[in-house]
Amino acid sequence: MAKQLAFHFDASACNGCKACQIACKDKNDLPLGINWRRVAQYGGGGWLPHPTRPDLVVANNIYAYSMSVACMHCENPACVQACPTNALTKRADGVVLINQDQCVGCRYCEWACPYGAPQFNEAKGVMTKCTFCEDLLAQGQNPACVDSCPARALAYGELSELRAKYGTENAIEPLPAANLTAPALVITPHRHAQASSKGTGHLLNGEEL
Amino acid sequence: MSDQDILTQTLNATPMTRRSFLKWSAAIGGTVALASGGLDVGLKSAQAAPAAEAAPAKTGKWVTAACWHNCGGHRCLNKAYVVDGVVVRQKTDDTHPDSPDFPQNRGCSRGRSQRHQTFGVDRIKYPMKRKNWEPGGGKKELRGKDEWVRISWDEALTLVANEIIRIQGKYGPGSIVSMGSEMNRTLTLFGGYTDVWGSTSWGTWLDSGPILGLGDGLTITSHNDRLDMRNSQLIVIWGENPAWSTQGNAMYFFQAAKKAGAKFIFVDPLYNDSASILADEWIPIRPATDHAMLLGMAHTLLVEDDPKTNPLIDWDFLNRCTVGFDKDHMPQGVDPKENFKDYVMGVTDGVPKTAEWASEICGIDPQRIRQLAREIGMNTRAALLTGWSVARVNNADAWPQMFMTLGCMTGHIGKPGHSTGVSCWEKAANGGPNLVDAGGTGLPSAGTNPVKSRLNNNELWDAIIKGKYTAGYKDVKDINIQMIYHGGTGSALNQKVGMMKGIQAHRKVELVVSHSHFLTSNSKYADIVLPVTTQWERWGYIKGNREVLIWASQVTPPLYEAKDDIWIAAEIAKRLGVDPRKVDALPLAQQVMNQIKGAMVTKDDGKTREPLVTITPDDVKGLAEQGVKVEAQTGRITLTEFREVGQYQVARKPGDKLGFIAFEAFRQDPAKNPIKTATGKFEIYSKAHAEFVKSKGWTEIAPIPTYNKAIEGYEDTFSDWKKKIKGEFPLQLVTIHYRRRSHSIFDNIPQLREVYPQEFMINPADAAARGLQNGDIALIRSRHGKVIRPVFVTERLMPGTVMLGEGAWAELDDATGIDKAGATNILNGAIPTGQGHQGWNSCNVQVEKYNGTLEPDVKWTQRIPVKGA
Amino acid sequence: MNVREWALITFTILAQMSVGSFIVLGIVHYFTAKKSGEKQADELSDRALLAIGPVLALGMAASLLHLGNPLNAYKAVTNLGTSWLSREIFFGVLFAVAGAVFAVMQWKKIATFQIRNLVAILAAVIGVALVYSMAMVYMMPTRPSWNMLTTPVSFFATTLLLGVLAMGAAFVANYWYVQSKNPGCASEQCVLLRDSLRWFAVASIVLLGFQFVLLPLWVALMAGPATASAAMLVGEFGVVFALRLAFVFLGAGVARHLFVPRGVESGARKSDGHGRVLGVRARPCR
Repeated sequence: MAKQLAFHFDASACNGCKACQIACKDKNDLPLGINWRRVAQYGGGGWLPHPTRPDLVVANNIYAYSMSVACMHCENPACVQACPTNALTKRADGVVLINQDQCVGCRYCEWACPYGAPQFNEAKGVMTKCTFCEDLLAQGQNPACVDSCPARALAYGELSELRAKYGTENAIEPLPAANLTAPALVITPHRHAQASSKGTGHLLNGEEL
Repeated sequence: MSDQDILTQTLNATPMTRRSFLKWSAAIGGTVALASGGLDVGLKSAQAAPAAEAAPAKTGKWVTAACWHNCGGHRCLNKAYVVDGVVVRQKTDDTHPDSPDFPQNRGCSRGRSQRHQTFGVDRIKYPMKRKNWEPGGGKKELRGKDEWVRISWDEALTLVANEIIRIQGKYGPGSIVSMGSEMNRTLTLFGGYTDVWGSTSWGTWLDSGPILGLGDGLTITSHNDRLDMRNSQLIVIWGENPAWSTQGNAMYFFQAAKKAGAKFIFVDPLYNDSASILADEWIPIRPATDHAMLLGMAHTLLVEDDPKTNPLIDWDFLNRCTVGFDKDHMPQGVDPKENFKDYVMGVTDGVPKTAEWASEICGIDPQRIRQLAREIGMNTRAALLTGWSVARVNNADAWPQMFMTLGCMTGHIGKPGHSTGVSCWEKAANGGPNLVDAGGTGLPSAGTNPVKSRLNNNELWDAIIKGKYTAGYKDVKDINIQMIYHGGTGSALNQKVGMMKGIQAHRKVELVVSHSHFLTSNSKYADIVLPVTTQWERWGYIKGNREVLIWASQVTPPLYEAKDDIWIAAEIAKRLGVDPRKVDALPLAQQVMNQIKGAMVTKDDGKTREPLVTITPDDVKGLAEQGVKVEAQTGRITLTEFREVGQYQVARKPGDKLGFIAFEAFRQDPAKNPIKTATGKFEIYSKAHAEFVKSKGWTEIAPIPTYNKAIEGYEDTFSDWKKKIKGEFPLQLVTIHYRRRSHSIFDNIPQLREVYPQEFMINPADAAARGLQNGDIALIRSRHGKVIRPVFVTERLMPGTVMLGEGAWAELDDATGIDKAGATNILNGAIPTGQGHQGWNSCNVQVEKYNGTLEPDVKWTQRIPVKGA
Repeated sequence: MNVREWALITFTILAQMSVGSFIVLGIVHYFTAKKSGEKQADELSDRALLAIGPVLALGMAASLLHLGNPLNAYKAVTNLGTSWLSREIFFGVLFAVAGAVFAVMQWKKIATFQIRNLVAILAAVIGVALVYSMAMVYMMPTRPSWNMLTTPVSFFATTLLLGVLAMGAAFVANYWYVQSKNPGCASEQCVLLRDSLRWFAVASIVLLGFQFVLLPLWVALMAGPATASAAMLVGEFGVVFALRLAFVFLGAGVARHLFVPRGVESGARKSDGHGRVLGVRARPCR
């Protein structure tokens, strides 16, 4: 059995199509307003006047890249620590789950999580979050998001194995610094990737998140 | 429920609850005669299952489900998990392990939202009539805002048939303009109808491509297949964003080429999402000016080429395989002075088409133009690729010829790693004829339409309003359209240029009929709306791409009172006294089985073909019981396997014989393997092309690709071009394919509205000049209409350019003339030029801050027509 | 702002107010007892003490409205090991119990003065623990903009401010009550009430100045560039946090304007003019 399941995300391949987000929404029947997997876009750069031609402009290091973000099933999950009712637990395989029968709906885990993973279901009054498609895992299948990706940018597996294969990067803008929660995530960075907290750009699609 | 705006009501119902559904059905009378338990289906599917219970309690069945839209994508595999006739989940291709050479056929966010379309709460559920309609029109100005009255199928069909008889009798058969697939059969058998014509997606490639020799990009491709693309060292892409407009595997194929070492250069006004993954360099260009850039490159090539020290131009290819490049290679009987080279060098008109000349128009630094010309020189294995978008420009008739000429000059045609052409739609990143093809349906033709009048897309609405249309060169004819029939081939009103005029036209005629799934723009402005089935409710559906053939099966029986288009056409035929068996001439099941039986797949030798499907005598017997006649045959896979798996995919691997190098044989021996042009060669000088354009009656072009200024292109943003004084509409609007939709389809799906807000893109400098910030609402005005949209300020877009996605369902306020949905055809004018294509990417606009409010689209009330109070 | 967010703000204000009131009242009681004896001190504080209970009860009721699933509220103290929210609720309940025990003892004069004092001190310590827990709820490494020393400092300052103002209001009410029975009262109780109110006024001015001037400066100085990126993927919780504080200030201001100055000024005019300080501050808002 795995000790810490993790996602691998290849930012050099993801073009931000959101098939993963909708696959997740479909598989988990998520209502509007709840998206366990979301795709953030980050970018920057700008424009300069042309040195000699007033009618021309020069593009100055304009860049953009996408980050598909779900629950990181952190090694040190802030949500689990914050939860006053122990509704959030970390399983032996590292998957962080919420027991809705236990949830009081205080939304404290939502504040605690820097990734926006726990999301509140207004109608039911309880929190919801990515389950790593544990039901599919139990049937020997892959998480819905992983199998949906047309760019083949998503994979999953044992964290140590993913790190051996893809490296240890886990803090790229617009994600927060990894020391907060030790996310079980391995990123293959985009060629324009900016380190967390040191980015020169900005979130491009805040209204879609 | 308000009386005045009766077409929509508050029902923010996703996921729909039982209570809201019952409330709604009560509001409409509550006595909906539901076919096959449709109410249950709607209810169950729409209810939100708790996450913990997402895995269906009951076991169901995965069914290969049609993904039938005109999405421009790769034709992906879509599967629906059906439990008790209810679709509870979807997935994509998992029929074989995934690998770069033999990839799964993975679908997009739209296809994965399909169940919310078929089972959408806003489906049209029964035939409806506009309350104030009466024979002759009945308060025609109320179209688009009248109330709806539910009517029976018999009443609806009889009413439509009687009106066809009345209007045809009064005004003649040409008075009915029909944009309807199956209904055209009925009308053909009953005196005919006025047809509509003109290139849409292709721009000028549709006709120009084949005339000049390069192909249109879909039926004939001129780029190599995906495995050969890995042989290219350099891939230059003009005006294409496959990540948005060609979803499915196209980006994956491009990524494979990048991994194999290709350098990518994108030429586009937007640093788009494809470029963000692929581009080593991005060259921002002003919209509708690519032709000027390529002339500048051609000039550079001519000036800098030295066959000995710096060979850039493939003279051997030009001399053997093309006509018209220089005075020594002109077609017979043509003045040699009219050659392309002399035009570029300025010999003909005194204006050398230098990189400086080009830069004034296209906005690219002349040094960068020259550098790119050098980079694509003949000794680089380069693929010069483009989407159709560059050709969707008013007056862009010579663009395909210019693009082809650049490829001919650098010789990037007919060799591994070298290619030139359109790489988009289902052939994006994968050129060549299909390796597996469906057979014909066997549906007999209904005959020839006896009416000869045909309206071009750009003149359609004007012809209805003004009664005149262009029939050819110096040939303007009268016409009197009194009936518009939208029979199910696209949302014409919303999706053709000049929608403001379109609405006016819809309010002029005596009857508008529309078949549809939802209250689309066509239906909103109609008098009679007829609910039709989706492909999920039909017996089967066949679709594919170069390597795949998909057999989709019925997912659910028809919902509510929805009927197939062909049933409607046959029922109307009956009432017109036309033999319905000539309309509905072959059952759908038989048509689909004919396609399957006739399916052919290319053998490993790459040359011969064999039947795809084995049909056993048992299959024959089983199908006969369903009334389907088919003979036994031997093929590659069994019928059962094809049905169960849902698709057949040709396995590819590097070095196989299934690859495609466009024009390889032609290049080796052009005399022996001529291409299908008037001269058998690539026509850099094409009399046929110039005459073709002239024959349409609007504009004339030269036989060589001279620069023709776009109407509403960059130059037209100036009131004084020479002094560079900007005019009333100083910005250039590019109409992009938007990921929420496949054209107009899926615009109404709440979960897609949630993730794609239909934002208006503008550069920070242009935004700042107008006091606009992210999230502000912008009022965008063109010469033709006005829309409002939330602003997305992005440096990814070139200054002077703005972008908006096409296909939003217009929400026009008659009082203010403002459309709040951002339907781009409100802004795009109907401007007939050249070959009668639509020029969506040449549109001048002005933008200002809008001080009213605008709720996010996802919060809008859904268009649910209700019976009047 | 929905019901749940209002509930959270209401709870925060009322809980802080009850803790602050308890402590302020304790201080008043201590000094009064020193100056005028235990009996005068009890008379001065007992009525006000009874007002604290309902305030806390109301606050805790409001906190239930903040929950999406209040039926599980009883489970909210099961993660004392790592959850500050659990601790907040735990200390909230404990403070309510200790406060109630003390109130009953004080009211019925059960046990000795010293023992009652010990219980009071215990309750106050629990109250401090409650306010500390409330502040620590926001002290999350994942929210750099909240995770600063200013957060607990601000919570304690607010607690004292609200306590002063609430007790000010209570004393004003009491002063009116006494005046109505005995116009022109010159008894020791009246003098003590006036003196207390003067001290309340001074304290509230100091605390308000701290809250409105010093604290924002401090926050601005501490908020570095590092706080920007961590909040990109998460919602606008900063708004809730800011509003929570803003309403505390607003509530404080309203309480001050409505109760303290007007009441004391009128009282002061009628007596010996000792309320000038408050009177001056009161004039603009009359």
